[in-house]
Amino acid sequence: MATSAKTIKPTKARSELGDILHHLVRDPLGLVGLIIVSIIILSAVFAPWIVPYDPIALNIPDRMQGPSLAHLAGTDQLGRDTFSRVIMGGRVALQVALPTIGGAIFFGLVLGMIAGYGPKWLDNIIVLLFDTVRSFPTVMFALAVVALVGPSLNTVIFVIMVTSIPTYGRVVRTLTQSLRNSEFIDAERSLGASVFRIMTVHILPNVLGPLAVLAAMDIPTVVGLEAGLSFLGMGVKPPTPSWGSLLNDGYNLIRNTPWLIIAGGIPLILTTLGFTFLGEALRDVVDPKLRGRGSK
Amino acid sequence: MAGVILDVRNLSVSYDTPRGPLKALRNISMQVPEKKIVGIVGESGCGKSTLILAIIQLMAPNANVTSGEVLFKDNDLLNHDLKQMQALLGVEISMVFQDPMQTHNPVLTVGRQMIDIQYRDKLSYSEKRQRAADMLALVGIPDAEARLNQYPFEFSGGMRQRIAIAMALMAKPSLLIADEPTTALDATLEVQIIKRLRELRDEIDCSILFISHHLGVIAELCDEVVVMYAGEVVEAGNVRDVFHAPSHPYTKALLECDPGHIKEKTRNLPTIPGEIPDLVELPEGCVFAERCSKIHDACSARPEFQVVTESHAAACHLNNGELVK
Repeated sequence: MATSAKTIKPTKARSELGDILHHLVRDPLGLVGLIIVSIIILSAVFAPWIVPYDPIALNIPDRMQGPSLAHLAGTDQLGRDTFSRVIMGGRVALQVALPTIGGAIFFGLVLGMIAGYGPKWLDNIIVLLFDTVRSFPTVMFALAVVALVGPSLNTVIFVIMVTSIPTYGRVVRTLTQSLRNSEFIDAERSLGASVFRIMTVHILPNVLGPLAVLAAMDIPTVVGLEAGLSFLGMGVKPPTPSWGSLLNDGYNLIRNTPWLIIAGGIPLILTTLGFTFLGEALRDVVDPKLRGRGSK
Repeated sequence: MAGVILDVRNLSVSYDTPRGPLKALRNISMQVPEKKIVGIVGESGCGKSTLILAIIQLMAPNANVTSGEVLFKDNDLLNHDLKQMQALLGVEISMVFQDPMQTHNPVLTVGRQMIDIQYRDKLSYSEKRQRAADMLALVGIPDAEARLNQYPFEFSGGMRQRIAIAMALMAKPSLLIADEPTTALDATLEVQIIKRLRELRDEIDCSILFISHHLGVIAELCDEVVVMYAGEVVEAGNVRDVFHAPSHPYTKALLECDPGHIKEKTRNLPTIPGEIPDLVELPEGCVFAERCSKIHDACSARPEFQVVTESHAAACHLNNGELVK
């Protein structure tokens, strides 16, 4: 498309975020991802109004039923409605995923930028810190923390966040290092920009794009991790529904009623797909050079 | 000389290397008079970039200033701390870099970058935007207002360089340092940029320190020229004098190598034989002696920088009256 004045003007009214959204929706992959993610988020937010039954109410006479009109995804060994548990479980999943990813991004950004831009000795210390944390297997680290403070949702959030910081921190550090030597940073310095200004105005927006993509792709991992920890009995305590505990129940009862494990697995797969699609599309959109490559 | 904006005196800079200090600049003295364009020429590695970085105090961490002063409006920049330099850069001294494809933040629109650069001014957003558009128009970018919404990659190389110049001139600095701003551009654009630079000098009333290894550009644009070789100033003066009557063999050789000067058909372009001397272990005498076609006994001693004509000086023994010819 020609870049004549007439075609440029409409973009003026749109904000940067609106611009990204606009291009995201034009990409079929992005659209599908966005729809799936919106459904997951909306169902988590409005879970208490969506669920047809109390997800922790026992109903022994109706136990281990297959799907029916009354119970869309059947019931478990205690007669609890699986559909309600899946919806409420999504809440737990996002309650874990969002603060974890948010915290990991924040600390990863701060530490990564300091390591990438700061003096060499500070870089060495931070990298050593990252390597130390990274060398613990997440599950072992979780076991140790749980043994100390007992299982709870906050423990899971804390453990996953701490072990995810290095992933983000390293990406940010590498990006910052390659950016700090680029000529536009020199140009900014030659025009008198302070370190803080270079970091926030110039390095941050360059780092944020790849980071957003990484985060979108990391959310399913975190949800899976939470499910895994709950599956091991280290996360959410029993009556509270989570996708992991659903899978755990389903695994035990796979011969009697396969519905449980299917119902617990589908949202996990959907979340993975949705966020991965969104992440893929986001990667093309946040880079202004790639933006609109296919959509125009 | 009336009104000197930048006065570099006996500046020496060396880099720490595993082999010992590399003396990149030795006793550099040069001046940029008010509202004049001064060119610095010299081949790669002669210390042009080191000199500018020393002036704006953005040297590599292993660089040390071993002597000298850099007087900008009679204040020694070498005594300025980071805060003072930051207050000066972009306001009083601005810089344009060599590669226009790299000098802009790729993920921010040109408008955002040009507005951001005005963070020191207490203006409203729309005023800043207007000023950015005015600056773009000033450097000759058509439809400036609309183009503020575009990203750097949507501009051509020549336009990006003009944007870089616009950004550097935003605060109407008294000194613009241009580090080979036309090297990465093709010949037609080079002419445009140079014309524009000269017009801008008149409009904004700034001095320009213009670094290049293209003699034609220097001759076209500059009022004065400083010829550098291996970290020393070998010849300096009025452009006309230096280029029409070069008194240092290096300047002569450089001029002979310029394809624009060749009149006869030739298969091989002329070159200066040899290489720049090792700056860690410097030769005793004249730094150019090894490559000089007019080498003689006196060259084993270091030549003095001496006046040749009224507006022209060089560092060569040949200019000592009794030794000529």
